[in-house]
Amino acid sequence: MTDYTLETEDDRLEALRRMLTIREFDTKAGHYFADGEIPGFVHLYIGEEAVGVGTCAALDPDDYIASTHRGHGHCIAKGLDPDLMMAELFGKADGYCNGKGGSMHIADIDSGMLGANGIVGAGPPLATGAALSISHQDRDQVALAFLGDGATAQGQVHEAINQASTWDLPAIFLIENNQYGEATPVEKQHNVDQLSDTAQAYDIPGVTVDGMDITAVYEAVQEGRKRAANGDGPTLIEAETYRYHGHYEGDEQNYRTDEELQQWKDRDAIDAFKARLIDRDELSEAEFEEMQAEVEETIADAIEFAHDAELPHPQEAYDDMFSDTVPEIEKFANRARTDGGDSR
Amino acid sequence: MAHIGLIVNPSAGRDIRRLTGGASVVDNYAKRSTTVCVLDGLTLVDETVSVEIMPDKTGIAEHAIGEAPSELDISKVEMPIKETAADTRRAAAHFRETADAVVVLGGDGTSRDAALELGDVPLVSVSTGTNNVVPTPVDGTVAGAAAAVIATAVVDAETVTTRHGKIEVRADDVNGEKHLTGLATIGITDRPFVGTRALVDPTELLGGVVSRAHPAAIGLTSVAGCIEPIAPDAPGGAALRFGDPDETPRSVRAILAPGMTTTIGLESHESLDWDEPAVFELQDCVIGADGEREVELADATVTMTPTANGPRLVDVDGALQAASEKGALISDRPLADAE
Repeated sequence: MTDYTLETEDDRLEALRRMLTIREFDTKAGHYFADGEIPGFVHLYIGEEAVGVGTCAALDPDDYIASTHRGHGHCIAKGLDPDLMMAELFGKADGYCNGKGGSMHIADIDSGMLGANGIVGAGPPLATGAALSISHQDRDQVALAFLGDGATAQGQVHEAINQASTWDLPAIFLIENNQYGEATPVEKQHNVDQLSDTAQAYDIPGVTVDGMDITAVYEAVQEGRKRAANGDGPTLIEAETYRYHGHYEGDEQNYRTDEELQQWKDRDAIDAFKARLIDRDELSEAEFEEMQAEVEETIADAIEFAHDAELPHPQEAYDDMFSDTVPEIEKFANRARTDGGDSR
Repeated sequence: MAHIGLIVNPSAGRDIRRLTGGASVVDNYAKRSTTVCVLDGLTLVDETVSVEIMPDKTGIAEHAIGEAPSELDISKVEMPIKETAADTRRAAAHFRETADAVVVLGGDGTSRDAALELGDVPLVSVSTGTNNVVPTPVDGTVAGAAAAVIATAVVDAETVTTRHGKIEVRADDVNGEKHLTGLATIGITDRPFVGTRALVDPTELLGGVVSRAHPAAIGLTSVAGCIEPIAPDAPGGAALRFGDPDETPRSVRAILAPGMTTTIGLESHESLDWDEPAVFELQDCVIGADGEREVELADATVTMTPTANGPRLVDVDGALQAASEKGALISDRPLADAE
């Protein structure tokens, strides 16, 4: 649950802590993936922390978010438990999806987190659907979809934004423009210079903000939320940011230069926000070091939790997958429950 | 050969006031089209002019070069592209040494960035931004033509330009001394952070200093103009301090942003001469120049001083009228004879 804003000193410190937590979580996730302990793929959010935290700080606790394949940061920003997240990455039964989703499918409906998603551009239709339910049931919530610059050109994204715009649904679409769709630079994917320009096609407001500045992201999402909650329909926000790691861990990254990476690191969102809090006398270097140590301990605990957790039983392979299991699946599920799937 | 500088800010006209107010989007398609119009306007005069355009990564400069009238000698300024306001400042600094006139496409922020580097080079400021106190909503072709008649000395630049003021700011807060310069306005908001830069909530405006004022302007200049207009080339400026309109002795209905008409409580309005400072004691606020929040402050003493040494702004109508009155736009013989 998001229970912080940027309005008070305590809130701002909590926002900084979340940014640090994301960086530490993903740094360690990268290490354990490289060591072969985390199966599948991991797509790290390092560099983009201001977007997730600035966004979730501007949302109400029971608002919905729909995430992407690069979703760890969104989860932590929304208040999910790093223990259960890390267990999910390790494929353990104590994870958010009982170890069956992994990095790209962490979901926790109770926290308003509708799921990371392995399908590029699949978040916006979920957010539009959630916004439709909010609208039908006249609830005081909004639904926000994160999507990437690559996803912005996906057909289903257009359908989702068009539908939400046409029905004035309480949705926000937040493009995390990290400059590359996998290995393709954003300017080779789109004819518009700023992706928020596409909002004009839906007759909704579009705005581009500095995604390395948490306060800019926060303000834009605040305004988008006001508009959505007032029944005025969705807003398209583009946050210009950068991922410090490759598209996936192991990506050779021969599509970009060290100089470019360094230019973005020179504008690091955590460093910048920390400096502003120190300037405001809300934080000292010693307090920052203490916060960093606490965050490292939190993530070390999460790794220990994940290590200690059990793997799911093969007999439960089909459990938790469907709300109502269809007959075609049920026979496989029964076979698994009988012998763990050994019989063919 | 007369030389023209051209600066087109790809980022102008896109800030959060499209979301919070009624500002319209000026996309790059429109900017490209306006840029080509400017180039076409430069051909109004007989003399061939050369043009340098600020480079960018959005294709505006490339498009302009590709679509420029064949008689123009056009090229890009050789400079690195940072995709920040530093690009405008760098290009303007180059034009200070090389150009006879400069055309800028952007809003107040772009005009300020250019103007502060241009020195005495005449500036034609065309609005493609949000806050448009300084830039003129003029057709690009007309703007180009005005720049051409000045750069080629068809008209006397002295007679068709006005010297705009500036506002110099010195802020002393817990972190030391900070400086800022504005063209038309320096505003104070009680938001703690720069954030999206634009003013999003008029109740957060605490006051500031203007170098010009008119009720038909937008922003702080509108508020000041509702009390006492100040012409762009008039000396001095005005300091304004705001409060809760339920408690202040006077209030003003003013236009603070596109789609944002509001009542501002007026604690005080003080006329300032050139070099006469207004001092503000401020806590936890942001000061901004020409509609954009720029500097975060905590427990600060801020001195804002109108000064006379601003840019030379071209009166577009006046420039072309002067050219017409001189007969410079008429040929008195058949064109075949001229050849």
